[in-house]
Amino acid sequence: MESNRSSFVQLQVLTKRMVLRVIRRPLAELPNLIISAFFLFVYDGALGGVFGGTASGTPFDFANGNFINFILPVSIVSASLSGAASGIYLVEDIESGVFKRYQSMPISRWAIILAPMNVGAFRVLLQAGLILLIGKLIGADPVVGNVGFFIVLSLAFIWGMGFAGYSVAAGVKSGSSQGAQAATFLFFPAIFLAPTFVPREQLKGWLETAAAYNPTTYVIEGMRSVMVQGWELDILFRGYLAATSFAVITLTLAVISARKATEKA
Amino acid sequence: MLAVDVKNIKKTFVTKQETVEAVKDVSFQVEQGEIFGLLGPNGAGKSTTILMLTTLLSITKGEASILGLDIVTKDKEVREKIGVALQDTGIDNLLTGKELFFTTCRLWGYSKKDSEKRTIELLELVGLTEAADRRVKTYSGGMKRRLDLGLSLVHSPDILFLDEPTTGLDPGSRRVLWEEIKRLRDNGVTIILTTQYLEEADELADRLAIIDEGLVVAEGTSDELKASIGGDVITFSFKNDSDLKNAKNVLNDAIEDKDQLRITVENGAAKIPSFINDLNKNGIIVSSVSASKPTLDDVFLEVTGYRLEGSAGTDSSNELEEK
Repeated sequence: MESNRSSFVQLQVLTKRMVLRVIRRPLAELPNLIISAFFLFVYDGALGGVFGGTASGTPFDFANGNFINFILPVSIVSASLSGAASGIYLVEDIESGVFKRYQSMPISRWAIILAPMNVGAFRVLLQAGLILLIGKLIGADPVVGNVGFFIVLSLAFIWGMGFAGYSVAAGVKSGSSQGAQAATFLFFPAIFLAPTFVPREQLKGWLETAAAYNPTTYVIEGMRSVMVQGWELDILFRGYLAATSFAVITLTLAVISARKATEKA
Repeated sequence: MLAVDVKNIKKTFVTKQETVEAVKDVSFQVEQGEIFGLLGPNGAGKSTTILMLTTLLSITKGEASILGLDIVTKDKEVREKIGVALQDTGIDNLLTGKELFFTTCRLWGYSKKDSEKRTIELLELVGLTEAADRRVKTYSGGMKRRLDLGLSLVHSPDILFLDEPTTGLDPGSRRVLWEEIKRLRDNGVTIILTTQYLEEADELADRLAIIDEGLVVAEGTSDELKASIGGDVITFSFKNDSDLKNAKNVLNDAIEDKDQLRITVENGAAKIPSFINDLNKNGIIVSSVSASKPTLDDVFLEVTGYRLEGSAGTDSSNELEEK
């Protein structure tokens, strides 16, 4: 029996179980899926008239006439934050005692921790993919061609994994789903202390400084570079570097906190 | 080889605010194929002892082994041998019983085909075949406990740890679970269970240890423990508190139990008249008196000095009302 007991199979089984949990409570999941799409329409409707095609030839034309190209990364970054659900999934298992059951079995600790993160990653891809599809339908058109969509999606995925790690670390540390939920508060400074609605050059004073230290800035700029500017490799590199660094740091924190949680008291 | 060998284990929890000795000194041995009960009130250290033995909690001091495997140095091997159904191990309510069994089988290393087969066997074993495709959140408390028991049996463990398996169940569901636990014992599984129900310990445990404040205060078979008290238990009730107080001075060996006095003597029924006589001479009025064979309740009172909350009083009593 033990010969069939690989960590990979255990990860697969635990991930499937968690996917079933997500599917079986659609009302808890659907709003998150819809909200980013909703904001894409709101941003486009509210700001597209100012910064869109009508701004062509003016200093406000920072979208090269296509405001959807400019604002889509913001919705994608918002969507990628859904990776934060990973921490909530894990903490739910801790609270319900399911985590303890798994601890009493010879199951790989990594499988227990990685399963919710897998589901978080799946959610990020699904949600970001949906936003990209909607964006495409309403006129998003990367200047580097359709490959730009894949670049945006890959950045979203890495960024989402960063948030997944953050939420797992916060959730395990707090030991409660409310704690994990509260930790997603970081979403607001992350998304709004950044060049969300205008390019960074247009930000002034403290917001400009805050944006410079906010890794979200570089992720959004990386995405925008392929949507609006073209192949700006240094900007793209900074975007991947910011997303990857954030993911590495938070995943390390997640591993440390999860290791502590699975240690015997 | 002993199924479980526990030698002077101790567990101390240290926090910034306080240090708590949850288990002060617990030792016992369990033979293979028996049901061993740990009886005690809430907070006695039963669950902490089980958590240590199931490798979920470290031991502060002492040593213990499961089938000869040290639980500290061979914890992974120990987990292969044991099944665990703890009070606070959870069940995923969003999955069906069948999915839960299948998932657990796969986690234990069964192939998909074998997992399907084992799932059917276990559902039948715990009587949940008809509810197999229902989500667990629709199960009753008794069904959840049986499911929990079944999940702990997936890998056919040699030793099963059950932490208060029937707490919160109605009498009917409790009895169904008792029968299943006995059947497992009859099939060779060693079972260590904790309980705060005297009746459960009496009915199920081949041997038991009474735990109080982190210490084993008595150990043996139920009959041995009852016999250790010796004789019969005579219980006196009084009209008022002052009579009770005065009676304690007359019956020096008696133990106060709420508003009663209890004394253990050989041939209790024959001695009742002389006790009443002594009390009457001192102006104490006895409102009722009874003699009975010792129960586990009496044993518990004898060794701890108090009763388990909610425990029944005497059984087989021969109560006499004094007019």
